[in-house]
Amino acid sequence: MQQMGVHGTYGPIDIAISGMRAQGKQMEVISSNVANARTTDAGKGEPYRRLEAMFKSDDGVSGVSLDEVVTDMSDFYQISDPGHPEADKYGYVLMPNVSVPIEMMNLTVATRAYQANAAILKRYQQMVETTLELLR
Amino acid sequence: MSKTNDIMALLDAGIRAESLRQKSIANNIANIETPGYRRVEVKFEELLKKALDSNGAVDLSEFKPLIFQPNETPVKSNGNDVSLEVEVGEMVKNTLRHKAYIRLLNRKFSQFDLAINVR
Repeated sequence: MQQMGVHGTYGPIDIAISGMRAQGKQMEVISSNVANARTTDAGKGEPYRRLEAMFKSDDGVSGVSLDEVVTDMSDFYQISDPGHPEADKYGYVLMPNVSVPIEMMNLTVATRAYQANAAILKRYQQMVETTLELLR
Repeated sequence: MSKTNDIMALLDAGIRAESLRQKSIANNIANIETPGYRRVEVKFEELLKKALDSNGAVDLSEFKPLIFQPNETPVKSNGNDVSLEVEVGEMVKNTLRHKAYIRLLNRKFSQFDLAINVR
């Protein structure tokens, strides 16, 4: 079940499920980014760093799985807000390197990918049912 | 045991395993938010193969599928390892298997029917 190798009739089902789970993880990461889009203190003396889910696949026909969640090391946004308690002496505050519009776009991609995997699952189910009709 | 009964007994054992599997899936989904719950699975095909390989005569009516905890899926923060997607996938597989067994059983019955209603 968890092993991703193709086994017999149910290979496509396991692969589609692995895709749905991976996209679910992706959505988890995106929601963390969106929730922390304005988090100036992530505990290490710097703002929240954007996370990105990396997927991997084994050789040959196999499903997908989450490899690791990596941090995006690009520069933080700098905004001018002198009244902010964390502003430096010039009045600038470092904000997370999260861009909400980009996250929303990634969310759309993840949703569509989830739906595509669900569509494959459904279509394959119909295919097997066609075969089973021959037994009638 | 004749060959005919053998097929019926095999299908019967298969259908019993499928209904137990359906129950275990329902149980897993019901406990999707239960802290510390580990998902259960039903072992049947492997046990059946082992039984059929070892000695020719197996009493299939006594043959019981086994419920076990695979404990191999990653655990969530609340100690629970149920994934809705995985359970849905298992349910789809189970339904397809169940359909196949029922169709085969139906075939067998229509053979009997044919034998009884020869005119």
